[in-house]
Amino acid sequence: MVKEVSGLGRFSDPALFILVSLAGGEKHGYAMMEDIGATCGVRLGPGTLYGALARLERRGLAEPLVSDERRKPYRITAAGASALEAKLREIEGFARAGLGRLATA
Amino acid sequence: MSWLLKRIVRLYPRAWRERYEEEFGAMLEERPASVSDVYDVATGALDAWLFPQVIHERSVALIGSRMRRSVLLVLWAWAGVMAAGVGFQKMTEYEDFVRAAHESAPVGVAFDAIVVGALIALVAVLAGGAPIIFAALRNAIGSGRKDVPLLLCVPPITAGIFVGYVLVLVRVVDPIFGDPAVHDPVNVVLFVSIVVMFMLAVLASTASVSAAVGRSGVGERLYRFALYPAALAAVAMVVVSAATVIWGLALWVQDPALFAGDDGILAPPTAASWLVVVAVMGCSACTAVAAAVSGFSRLQATKTSRSKTRRTLRRGDGARRSP
Repeated sequence: MVKEVSGLGRFSDPALFILVSLAGGEKHGYAMMEDIGATCGVRLGPGTLYGALARLERRGLAEPLVSDERRKPYRITAAGASALEAKLREIEGFARAGLGRLATA
Repeated sequence: MSWLLKRIVRLYPRAWRERYEEEFGAMLEERPASVSDVYDVATGALDAWLFPQVIHERSVALIGSRMRRSVLLVLWAWAGVMAAGVGFQKMTEYEDFVRAAHESAPVGVAFDAIVVGALIALVAVLAGGAPIIFAALRNAIGSGRKDVPLLLCVPPITAGIFVGYVLVLVRVVDPIFGDPAVHDPVNVVLFVSIVVMFMLAVLASTASVSAAVGRSGVGERLYRFALYPAALAAVAMVVVSAATVIWGLALWVQDPALFAGDDGILAPPTAASWLVVVAVMGCSACTAVAAAVSGFSRLQATKTSRSKTRRTLRRGDGARRSP
């Protein structure tokens, strides 16, 4: 599951940010950029956002919702939620190990 | 700056633009564009070309339609060979030709090759066509469409009409005119009417099957499968055409008088009838071979393209791995 996200190469981090953003509810592209900027402190470019979004959609981790507007909202899928949780657990373990070492240094 | 961004978006592949351009444009309109955005969108376009994530639905449809066209062209070619073959059979049913086939090995072997080739072509057309017709009917019934089943009823109906017409001519009309001689104008008119009816039945049947298949929405997979029997049918048509040429040449050598006689269809010169049959069969066989080659080249292109996409995805989307 972790590989689903980290296997996206240079799009791994943007994909992770997008999944975290969508975990908070469905959003369209601009709302995702704003949310990612606010929660992660990262400003994703439009090309990077849609490059990562296309990869997530292709892997079934995020999906578009039907909309009459030009802006199309997306939501995280069950597979996307599992992949995100696995990745966050990995980061959590890594952070705990690093902090533990710092504490004992 | 946003006008520049909109122009850069046009650099993305068509498949990507069909899928994302509208929402991407809406997003760009909601925020002020910067120089870094221009760079980001430009590299995004490069990425979309190098590592495509969106399958071009039109391309898939186009590949399917081209394979369908190849398969249907082989069907039309088979109809041409079959029509010419019926004419050939009609010409060679007389005692003189049967005797020539018994007396000359090349004439006999060539005739047998024509029969065997025609049977193989028939079986191949049925093997490739039956799954498509079955799927077309299933799709039509599933979606409540009546046009496809009605179109597929045309071949048996036209066959019935043709058989009925011939029976009426033989049992009713012919006795009225006192069983006219071969060159009698009445006999010529009646026979030409049978040929016209036969050609109309073949044309109507082939056209209706083609139209039904075209409307059926049958998937690319069945056309891909049908290409193999279609190729076999094309080879069989080439064999039939070549054997017909050999048959004529061998007959010319074996029995020049018979070849130069007037035992052709409706008693015109035999050689002229043979040439017409060879021409129709040859053109049909060439069409079938060209259609099969075109279908297989499309199939190969599809396989190459798909394996390239799979390799791209296996490489981790072409981007460097995270440490």
